[in-house]
Amino acid sequence: MHASVEQPHGEQDVQPLLVVRDLQAYYRTSHAGVRRAIRAVDGVSFAVRRGEIYGLAGESSSGKTTLIKSIAGAIKPPLEIVGGSMEFAFLPGYGGLHRAPPAQVERIRWRHLSYIMQGSMNVLNPVRRIRCSFTDFAYPHIGGSRQQFEQQVVAHLSRVRLDPSVLSAFPHELSGGMRQRAALALATICRPGFIIADEPTTALDVVVQKEVLGMIRGIQRETGSSVLFVTHDMGVHAHITDRLAIMYAGRLVEEAATAEIFRNPLHPYTQNLIASLPRIGEDAPRAGLGGAPPNLADPPSGCRFHPRCPLAREICSREVPVMREAGAGHRVACFAVNGDDGA
Amino acid sequence: MNDLLLDVRDVSKTFVRGGLFSREEIVAVNKVSLQLAAGRPEILAIIGESGSGKTTLARMILNMVTPTSGRLLLDGTDLAAISGSAGRIAFMHKVQPIFQNPFESFNPLKRVERYLLMTRRRFAAAAGGSTAATAVDAALHKVGLSLKEVGGRYPHELSGGQLQRVAIARALLAEPKLIVADEPVSMIDASLRISIVNLFRTLRDELGISIIYITHDLATAYYISDRILIMQKGSVVESGDARAVLTAPRHPCTRQLREAALLPQIAGGGANASGTTQVI
Repeated sequence: MHASVEQPHGEQDVQPLLVVRDLQAYYRTSHAGVRRAIRAVDGVSFAVRRGEIYGLAGESSSGKTTLIKSIAGAIKPPLEIVGGSMEFAFLPGYGGLHRAPPAQVERIRWRHLSYIMQGSMNVLNPVRRIRCSFTDFAYPHIGGSRQQFEQQVVAHLSRVRLDPSVLSAFPHELSGGMRQRAALALATICRPGFIIADEPTTALDVVVQKEVLGMIRGIQRETGSSVLFVTHDMGVHAHITDRLAIMYAGRLVEEAATAEIFRNPLHPYTQNLIASLPRIGEDAPRAGLGGAPPNLADPPSGCRFHPRCPLAREICSREVPVMREAGAGHRVACFAVNGDDGA
Repeated sequence: MNDLLLDVRDVSKTFVRGGLFSREEIVAVNKVSLQLAAGRPEILAIIGESGSGKTTLARMILNMVTPTSGRLLLDGTDLAAISGSAGRIAFMHKVQPIFQNPFESFNPLKRVERYLLMTRRRFAAAAGGSTAATAVDAALHKVGLSLKEVGGRYPHELSGGQLQRVAIARALLAEPKLIVADEPVSMIDASLRISIVNLFRTLRDELGISIIYITHDLATAYYISDRILIMQKGSVVESGDARAVLTAPRHPCTRQLREAALLPQIAGGGANASGTTQVI
């Protein structure tokens, strides 16, 4: 089932930057002898190529956050990696940040791997000026004289259209948009090869959001980084991502080029999701998806979407469909699309 | 007199920040007027960036904030004249709110039906004589749920979409004429969002309830609203038929919002159209 992960893709058939294989990350708790496992990520495989923005979409509690926590190595109990591996091109041989020695992780953080989070307030130290945040995070990786470093920071801030005066400001003195741009500058100043963006614009106003997305795109093009872009907002995905994976209840259900997902969704969940989005200029009534999202402590057997699926058949409640190539670069996990021999 | 359900006349709200020496006045809402006709239910969308005063306006309509100047009349009653609990209950009987985050509107430690029963008890004198449980069940049926489904459950056991439906059912128990919904779907997942939005349309068509729908999402506003009001820095800059305003915006602010809205569609042959292979 991993054969389709590293698909040769024309001129891009160099090794992908990140290969996730059959990742299983569970929240395991044990209260008074009662053991419970929330299977938040259950058998996810994908690869992020060099120089692309890879989108990840899914509703709340579909496991998006758990997946990026695992990739970023932020694994704290009760979260546990139960199986699978996450191989970075710049950290070969360990199968994930959580298995690498701390010194190695320290070396690659910010330099090779950085994050843009939803609440930039949580990234910037609230009691230190912006300048100090830059010195704390980036100076150890860049080195050189302090003056050179400051010049580099100022030059980088101008890329996100921030005035050098913000360096002397405290985070609370900046507006939400400015703060998010400062966090973006901080995340990209070391020109990391891989950026994890977790709902980076969800808290922003629509007008500011478009501006910040444009900056993320601009910096990504300039530095040639890969971005793993997570958001539930399909409008943002349509605007910025190159490829898009749809997650449902802890598993990927479909993956393709973003345009392909929007034009030709194959999985019934994706089809419903795309069809339910209202668009300006279209008056046709839209129907939502019936039923409720599954409880991951006790997920439905077989395909986790089958209780809500209009195409469900007998096999769907028995067996788990695997991701299969359904077209060039288009993978989908569904018996109705792939046929009953899907397993 | 009562041919207007809601008559907002030139209301302004100014907040004062700072102390004795450094007074700073922030005009949150600046001379806004709007009318909703009685007997002709409609969905009115209020759109604006953050800080444009749309939530303050909603809170004034809900009588949670007193306007600095101007008058608000609901069904001919001046909101400023409402006093005492009897007056407030009569007011809440006509206007009900729905808030952004359903998980914050319910106490996590109490079962959800408790809120429904409490609301029912409060408005029981005004509503018919059926028993509390059947009235609650009837309200839940209007939003596509039933007491059997949600009874005995705590808020965390329901999805955001279900909980928002319960919040709407709670509002319906008062049999209101107007619902003020402040960003009711922005916390709801995409697949459930449209069902809540469709529910508003059902409420308008079948129960004759007018809805003030406050949002920054132009696409859903286009989808359900009849009329639209664009706010910027406390003032209304453009208003009119929702479809006309959104397809041919005139004010630069509306145009800016329209351009900034990221629509879930792929522009033909755009930057990311690398995989246009059609699979049949």
